[in-house]
Amino acid sequence: MTVLASVSLATFLVTSLAATQFRSQPLPPSNRLARDEALRNSVNQLEDQNRALKGNIQKLQGQVKAGEDESAHRSSAVQQVKAQLDDEKVTAGLTALHGAGLTILLHDGTDPNDLADRSLGWTIHYQDLQDIVNVLWASGAEAITVNGQRIVPNTAFHYAGVNILVNNASRLSGPYTVTALGDPSSLAGGLGNPDQLAELKSRSRIYGLGFSWLRSPHLSLPAFDATFLVKYAQPLG
Amino acid sequence: MRSRSAEGAARAQRLIAVSLIAVALGFLLVVQLRSQAAVARTLAAQDDTSVALLINDLNRANNELIQQGAALTQQEAQLRAALTAGGADVQAIQKELTTLRVVNGEVPVHGPGLQIRIEGTIMDFELQDALNNLRNAGAEAIALNGQRIISSTSVQSRGNTLLINGHAVSSPLSLLVIGDPELLGPAADLSASSLQTRVQVQISRQTELAITQVVTPRPLIYAQLGK
Repeated sequence: MTVLASVSLATFLVTSLAATQFRSQPLPPSNRLARDEALRNSVNQLEDQNRALKGNIQKLQGQVKAGEDESAHRSSAVQQVKAQLDDEKVTAGLTALHGAGLTILLHDGTDPNDLADRSLGWTIHYQDLQDIVNVLWASGAEAITVNGQRIVPNTAFHYAGVNILVNNASRLSGPYTVTALGDPSSLAGGLGNPDQLAELKSRSRIYGLGFSWLRSPHLSLPAFDATFLVKYAQPLG
Repeated sequence: MRSRSAEGAARAQRLIAVSLIAVALGFLLVVQLRSQAAVARTLAAQDDTSVALLINDLNRANNELIQQGAALTQQEAQLRAALTAGGADVQAIQKELTTLRVVNGEVPVHGPGLQIRIEGTIMDFELQDALNNLRNAGAEAIALNGQRIISSTSVQSRGNTLLINGHAVSSPLSLLVIGDPELLGPAADLSASSLQTRVQVQISRQTELAITQVVTPRPLIYAQLGK
């Protein structure tokens, strides 16, 4: 139950950190080391659990699909509904896809170590990933992944401290690879348009931050590694 | 088009706002933020706040994944029971179909949530940030001035005009969000606090609101099924 203990500890830390900081009374070094290690251990355990849960979900999805396929063989009514369901799964990102598209590569630049420049412009922020994904959708992308994580209808990018998280707390770290299926010329045209991503491009020039793309006739995108639960939104009528 | 310097200033403002949002708690110190992106994103090099926030998020995500697993287990049991009895449970499949149509934004929906009214001009990235915060807080359906929004909906600025999937929307903006108001509220407050220096933002919790607009799924032309 070290995870539970650490979760409580983490919650306590988050809520009390500001106060602790103001007081600015450092813990004795030995305590701090032990606490640091406990926190990092629980991240490792929770990430192991996260992976195991996703693995279990994928196994269950396979079993559900087998049950659906079998059901569809029983009646034509079921078969019709099942065909619609399969289409919705493709739209929702629950199906692996392949085809032509673009691979975009991003990496942090160099810290200018300039006291007058505290902008952190040399690092890739989650907003950069979000902006690129947005331009790709606007340029006709049909499916997108970021570091292998499929962008699905409810995907959010998010900061947890310095960590960039996406889809059920999957931690992304640089270098980043964004993969998009669609017309390679149209996608490259969108990214290359000087009106788009102007700020990222200027940071790329100033800080040596990496931002490039290459076209490919064959790319493979994995399915979303979890599923969807709807708890509040009910269909109307 | 905005001038480069205006865009630069707006982006800089965004970075500051984002840094604040990053810590999720408005009162955490800028002092601490200064160094945060500078550390490598490996666990060993992270400050305790980052690790603690990561633990919170992992814990929340794992709970959600446990619920997803339970729902799938139940669905499989339902399908199997009908198959064992020599039939087929069309309702179990219909239920999943409905869920995915809601997720894909293809059916009108209703439920509890927030109505957010924004008076004034906001930029594409500001709306993106707000949408991101709301999705992260479990938003299940979103619409803005008659446009249903899912993650593949493009949001772009053309001068002072906001384009949602190419459709212009103008002030006042009315953002409807369905989800748990207890979770959506703080997320909306966070976005509002970074916008409120320039525009008027009103957030009202609703026990019942309706989103009637739908998204038409984009046809796959270049993408093919399978690996």
